[in-house]
Formats: sequence, C-alpha cells, structure tokens
Amino acid sequence: MIKLPRSIIEGVQAAKQPEDLYWYLQNAVELEHSTIPPYLTAMFSLKPGTNDEIGRLIHSIVMQEMLHMAIAGNILIAIGGQPQINTDKFIPKYPGHLPMSIGGSDFKVGIEAFSKPLVEKIFMVIEEPEHPIPVKVLEAAEPEFATIGEFYDAVKKKIVELGNSIFTQPKEKQVLSWFSPERLFPIVDVPSAVRGINLIVIEGEGTSTDPFQTPGDPAHFYKFGEILHGRKVVPDPAGGFAYAGDPIPFDPAGVWPLKPNCKIADFPRGTQAHTRIAEYAYAYSNLLNALHTAFNGEPGRIDTAIGLMYELKMLAVSLMQTPLNDGSGMTAGPSYEYIDRLPV
Amino acid sequence: MSYLDVPRLTFTGFFQADVSTINNGTGYYDNDAFKPEFQQLGFDGSWNPEGTAIFRLVECTVTGARLGDRDITDRAQDPVIGMALENADDRVFGKLVDLDPQQQMVSQIWGMRLRLTDGVERALFAGDYAPAAFINLWRRQQRGVQGDQTLAAVYQSVLRNVVWQGRSPSKVLEALQRASEQDALSINMNVYGFGRNPAIPRYTMGRVAGVIGPYRAGEPKHFVLGRQIVAQQIFDSSAPLAAKNGVFTFQCKVHADRKTVTADFGNCLRIVDADGALVDVGPLVLAVSKVPVDSVLTSVAADQVAVLGNVSYRDAYWYKSTAGVQEFDYSADPWSVAHIGERPLLLLSPQPDNAYKVLVQESLGGLYVRADEYVYRLEPDATGEVALHVTSFGAPLETEIALSANVGAMGGGGGPPPPPNVTIPDIATPDSGVSYPDSIKSGPDGKAVLKVKAGRFDPPKPRGYIAGQLYGIGYQLAQQPAQTISNFWNFITVFVYSPTRPAPQPTWLADIQPILLQYGNLYPIMSKHLVRLGDYDSVVAHLDILRLAFALPIGDPNHMPVTRDLSDGDRALILTWMATRGADGLPLKGQPPSPAALEAVRPQPAAAVPPVAVDLAPELRRGKTGVITEYLARRQMKGKP
Repeated sequence: MIKLPRSIIEGVQAAKQPEDLYWYLQNAVELEHSTIPPYLTAMFSLKPGTNDEIGRLIHSIVMQEMLHMAIAGNILIAIGGQPQINTDKFIPKYPGHLPMSIGGSDFKVGIEAFSKPLVEKIFMVIEEPEHPIPVKVLEAAEPEFATIGEFYDAVKKKIVELGNSIFTQPKEKQVLSWFSPERLFPIVDVPSAVRGINLIVIEGEGTSTDPFQTPGDPAHFYKFGEILHGRKVVPDPAGGFAYAGDPIPFDPAGVWPLKPNCKIADFPRGTQAHTRIAEYAYAYSNLLNALHTAFNGEPGRIDTAIGLMYELKMLAVSLMQTPLNDGSGMTAGPSYEYIDRLPV
Repeated sequence: MSYLDVPRLTFTGFFQADVSTINNGTGYYDNDAFKPEFQQLGFDGSWNPEGTAIFRLVECTVTGARLGDRDITDRAQDPVIGMALENADDRVFGKLVDLDPQQQMVSQIWGMRLRLTDGVERALFAGDYAPAAFINLWRRQQRGVQGDQTLAAVYQSVLRNVVWQGRSPSKVLEALQRASEQDALSINMNVYGFGRNPAIPRYTMGRVAGVIGPYRAGEPKHFVLGRQIVAQQIFDSSAPLAAKNGVFTFQCKVHADRKTVTADFGNCLRIVDADGALVDVGPLVLAVSKVPVDSVLTSVAADQVAVLGNVSYRDAYWYKSTAGVQEFDYSADPWSVAHIGERPLLLLSPQPDNAYKVLVQESLGGLYVRADEYVYRLEPDATGEVALHVTSFGAPLETEIALSANVGAMGGGGGPPPPPNVTIPDIATPDSGVSYPDSIKSGPDGKAVLKVKAGRFDPPKPRGYIAGQLYGIGYQLAQQPAQTISNFWNFITVFVYSPTRPAPQPTWLADIQPILLQYGNLYPIMSKHLVRLGDYDSVVAHLDILRLAFALPIGDPNHMPVTRDLSDGDRALILTWMATRGADGLPLKGQPPSPAALEAVRPQPAAAVPPVAVDLAPELRRGKTGVITEYLARRQMKGKP
C-alpha cells in the first residue's frame, strides 16, 4: 500500500486557517500530476494498432489524474491559493520519489516503456487503495504511515471544520472546461469541495466494498490489475470479484523499446535523439507554463494546454522511433525536465 | 525601415521543418486509390510520412549586431551577443505548410511565436511571426550527402504584437525598441542545408542565418523597398535553379541620409555543403555604374564604375556575425553621393586589365515591381487585395502594371508518380476561377492595389479528387526595358476554395467522411496516433478537441487542418455536423451517398495533364527538387527550351 508520513496528516489536522492548507493542496496538485508522466510514457510506448485495450485503460486513468489535478487546483484557488505549476520543483525527479515522500524512501518511480512488471511493481503500488477489495492478499499498513485516502480525508475534514467562509475567490478563476460539469464543477463552498475530494478518492481507489468507481468502470488499481492479469474484473459467481472477464491481450512486440529514464544530457548535441528529446521536454515545459497561466487567473488558456497535450503525443511518436544506435537496440524515450532558463 | 536598417541583430543556428511527405504526391489525394502502404517510410521515396509539420528554431543565438556605425560581435561589446532566439514557451510550435501538392513552392510558416531570452528574462521581446512563404529558391549548395536538399531560400516577414519586457543592459535592444513602430519588427531568415535522409543527424533540420531589425508602418513586410539586384536563373536540367554567374538575386537599401548602402548577400552566395562554408570565388566588389545601363552587362571597365567596397565574405566570421548583411559607406566619394540614386548597383569580380566581370546587376532602369504578399487563399466569390509596390532605383514610381496569367512551376504530380489509374488534374482551369484587370496603375507613392475576385466553381471541384483550384497571376511594368530579367518567383499564387455543397443536416457518411478521410490518408501522424479521421467512432470519441481545433482562426498554431487548405464552408459544415445530434446523442452517421451523389461531389478532374518521366532518385522526388525537375520535364515536353 502506498504510504506517506503520518506527520503530513498531522500537519493538515493542525491547520488553523486556509493559508495553512495551501502547502498541502499544492502537494495534492503535484501528487496528482506526478503519476501522469510515467503513465503517459507507458501509454505512448504502445505501438498503434497493438495493445489498444491496454492503451485505452491507461488513457482513462491519465484523464482522471488530470481531472484530479484540476479539482485539487481549483480547491486551492477557491480558498485563495495560487497553484505553482511551472517550476522545476513541480516535477518529480524521475526516477525518484513521489511528492510528500509517498511510498517510502525505497519507492522510486521512473519513466519507462510499458511492461507488466512496471504495472505490477510501480503503477499498482501507487494506486493501491486504503481498503482493497480482497482480490489478493495484502500486507498490513505500518502505523506510522498514512494512506493517500487518509490524506484526502484529513483535508476534507479540515475544510469542513474551517467552513464556508474560507471560499473567498470567484469561481471564474477556476479551470472548469474539458470535463463534464458533473465531475469538474466550481468549488464554492464546503459541500462542493467535499464532493470534489470524494471524487478524487473514489475514482482512484473505488469504494471499500466495490472495485468499481462507477458501474462497469473499475478504479485505477483494478484497471491496472486487469492489464496485469490480462482479464477484465467481474463479479465472481462464488462471491467477491475476479479477473475473469473478457481478455485484455498484450503483445510484447507492440511496445517501443525505450531506454528508461532518458535525460536530455544523456545524448550528444547534434544527434537526432538529442533534438527529439529536447523538443519533447520543451513542449512539456510549455504545457506546464500554459497550465500555470490557466490556474492563475486565465482559465481560458486551458485550451492552449490541451493543444500542447496533443502535440506531446505527436512528438512522442517520432521520439520513440528514434534509434539510439548504441548497439542496445533501444530507442529514445521522453524526458520530463522543466526547461526554465536556457543555457546560453 | 527593415532589417536592412540599424540597429539590427544577427542570429544563427538551426531550424527544424518536420514536414510530412505523403502530401507531396498529387495522386495520393485520391481517396479511392489510396493504399495503406503509401504511409510507409521509404515508400516511393517518402522520407518523412509521419511528419508533424512543426517548424521551429533550434539552438539559435545572437551572433552579431549593428548599432549605429559599429559592428558588434562580442558579448563584452553588448550583452545581446549570445542571447537565444527561441520559440514560444507557452503554446505549440509553429507549422510549415505547403499550399497544395500542385504548388509546393510557397511553403508558409504559420503560428510561430519567437522570443529573445538572455537566460534570466524569459522574453526580452516576443512577437508573432506573420505567416510568410519562402522566396528566391535556388541551388545554393554545391555538395551534399544523399537526400540533401541543396536548394536554399529566404523567409522575410515581420514579428507582430511585439511585447518588450524585463530589463537588459543591451544598448542594441534599447535602440531596436526605440526604432520600431507599431509593436513590430522586421525579420529575415536565410534557410539552407536541409537534411532529408532519415539516417543522418540533420534529418528534418537545416541551418538558418537571420537578421532582425526595426519595422516602419506602411512599408512592405516581405521584401525591402530598396534596390533589387536580379540574377538570371538557370532553368534546364544541367543545373536547375542555379544562378547564371554563381551569384543569386539580392536586395539593398541606400540610406542617403547617412550615405551608406546596406546590401544583403545572405542568400546570394554559393555554399560548399550543408555546413554553409561559402564558395571562394575570389574578391567580390559592390559598385555603382557611372554610366546608364540598358542591357545585361558581361563586363565593365574600371573607369565606368564607382567602387563601394569589397564584400567581406572571405572573412572567417563574416557570415555568422552578419548573415551576409554588409554596409558600404560612400560618403567619401562625391560622385556616388550625387549619383547613387540614378545609376544601377553592380556586383563585380575583378579581372586583369583593369576590368571587372559583372556577376549580377540591378534591374534595368532600376525598375522593380513586387507584390508584398504573394500567396492568397480565396473563398468562393471573395475578393483578395494584393498590395504591389513600384520603384525606380528604390524611389516610388507612378506607372502602369500589366497583369497576366503566370503559374510558375505550379501543377503536375508534385514529385512522386501517381498511383495506377489516377490522373493528374490540370490547374488554372476554368478561366472563370479568378478575374482581375489587365493592368493597374500605381500612385505617386508607388503603391497599387490589385483586386482579385474568385469565382464559384460549378461543378464545385475542377480538380476532381482535390478540392479548390490554383491560379497564378504574373505582373510586370507595362513599359520595361527589352532585356529586363524577371525574377521567376515574383508572381501571385491564388488558391480558390471549392464551394461547399449546402447540407442543412450534414451526415458523416454523405458529407464529413469524404473530407476527413483524405486528411487521415495524408497525415498518419494524426490518423495512426491521435484520431482515425476516416472513422466515425474515433472522430466522435475526440469530438471536443476536434471542435476546438476546427473552430480556431487560421493563424492559431492549433488550427485544424494544419495544412490550412480547408474552406470556411467545409469547416462550418464539419462544425455543424459536430453540433447536430441524433436520437442517440451523437452526430449523425447517415447513409452512404449514392454513386450519382458521389460523382456530383467528387467527379473526375475536368482536365488532366499527361504523365511525364522524371529522372531523379525517389527520395529527391519528394519536395522542391522533385517539383522543379518535373516542371522542367513538362516544359521540355511542351517544346519550350
């Protein structure tokens, strides 16, 4: 189970005023973002026309992570905070720890091509719910650690405690497009904030009795379980749930052989790999810049950010087809470095 | 004012033009004949089938500047040296787009925003590059690796909506901001050394050497209102697009106030290879003829010219620090001071016996007419206004301009051979597609406006499987010296969109799929990796992003289609279809059109051109070299020299 230091929860609980929650909500934005680069890379590494169902499942998870990032950002905006998105610190150092030391000191997340071990050892660990449905045996959580669910629960309780008066900002500052209004709605008071947090937790973890966030749509952990086990999760006639539904085929040949955890500096200037990876990181940085502007007073700029997301996908195609020509048979992979100030 | 004024700064580096190569073949636009293998890398020389159309500057830095009468090459002289000229940092990259498979010689940059950064300020200035097509394409590069594009060209435009911010101690930037008007800057880019071979590091990349200077409102944006030196270009298969004496067309500006000529040699001197070392042809001299000239000169005696100075192209850092722009001070020569405004400029090569070989000379009589913008996309029945400027030795001239059809190298198969049983449509037909007067007059300010009216095609697609039609309008002075050398590239390209068949309730099968399938075929970067544009379910699944992109204005970098070749009517049709939902809550799928209806929408080309043999390696057939080689082959077939 993914864990974070209990001191984080205690920090939330000790908050006296909305300003005291800013750091935690900023970390929530960072946390929701932090899984997107590894998930996205795994998705991009699937060759078109193969592994389509796996691609669709990961895509649905990535979309929800984006939604959760937007909700957390909107809550922060609603109580007077300013999400900081376009900084070097916003992005985890892959391979490295997730925000708030989530997962413990030995849990590192990298940027890699899709593989079943990646799904099992990293993605399912990230998404493991507080109370998983017993589809598999789990170790007990250590008492000094808390779960992401507990973290959000503490934030929710604190918002309830601080009351409606902390929602001081006009809803026009919030980013509210590109998702249905049932899932991305203005955060204007305690009930709307609670509803938003509940949505983050349920879409990520499911409920404590059911792996589905909505009927037919499993929570993230179980979607990754489907990919790992190659079958859809369905109710088991004998009771409970089983990965025994329609097959989800995986063709290992349908994955670009990316070198894991590429950085721009790994490649000599003037090579195709350097050109392409620098281009990708540049576009990714532009995306964070556009998002930052959108979440800091110009929500209309989200359209530009959406355009950049599609551009990233296109850039990933040429990047992942660029051979390294180092005898490894591998191709270049994406880098999620923030290009702030250029080396001159 | 322009980049040929002061202050100005030079930038050098690389550009990436990640253009796609399937749309180079006219025949590939025929949906019925399209096969999946056309999308494979290497198919019939297709060297970048999954190109993204991105155009961007790469590792461009300021490598020189001119402030007052000083050349600046070192950061100790001014901190502008070493600053980076970068792409926008908050939106997608610009795009490079061919107008049409049958007019690939005016590829335009769209949606590019540039910024200058010193590593501290994100943008000391930033501005939007006004869409521009290249011009003055010629065989500049003498040697290349396999697949190299040995042709070079120029992009001249302006940066608009320029915003200055932050503080820099640079005097060059301070002066540049002060000298500029209307939040605009003039920008010129010489592009060369483009690599098309997927196996080389330079794949999709080329070199750029450019200049940014002030811009003054009301002046042309895409050329300099100055002195035009026009070279004769070779149009036969021996050395297609080479310059006759090895030096190509260039422009100069005479600054009478400070008795200086600024000449731009950035795209007129040959280079050895893609790295851009200039071919050493011995000393080159810029001079003014002391006698009137009414013919093409081959040589002049030393006493017939006033020498302005040597071109410094043999100095090691000259091109990198100036991009070929050089000033010649003639204040010490009273004859030049008195007469430079009435005698032609010459570029000379010193010969023994006190004589000079004339490599290239100013247009006869100093006469020049030029359309500022030369690519027009016109909706049915719309009127385009073309701004033309007439000068004599750089001064405005009131005179008559004659207009006639001139299609340049347009038409044909676009390079690769068409698929079996696909005919290549003819262009510029029917005649009624455009109308314009036979002549117009420039005013005392030398300006004229040509109104070009588009027709409304019936049947709507004269080219059958390709929407729209191409026309070319040539212009010249009604009275011009007999031996006048015209610049081959100086004509107006007009693309007239096909009218959209009215459909109050458009459906996927009858109206939308025939349009989008073609884009899906031609641009697999979209159809393989983002949205299968020929597939109803895939399009419906991406409705929101498609609706945004199709609704964006043409100048937006996210505009769809990237190629900017879909009419307003067709885009409105698509948007209407997206917004009209059936009982299932989804856009209408409808029924496939009957064969008769299909024929009405997409007939065979009204006129076709015969196939022609092109003797060129397959990868060279995709792109400019292929187009010009086919053009020459067609010319020869018609019996022209």
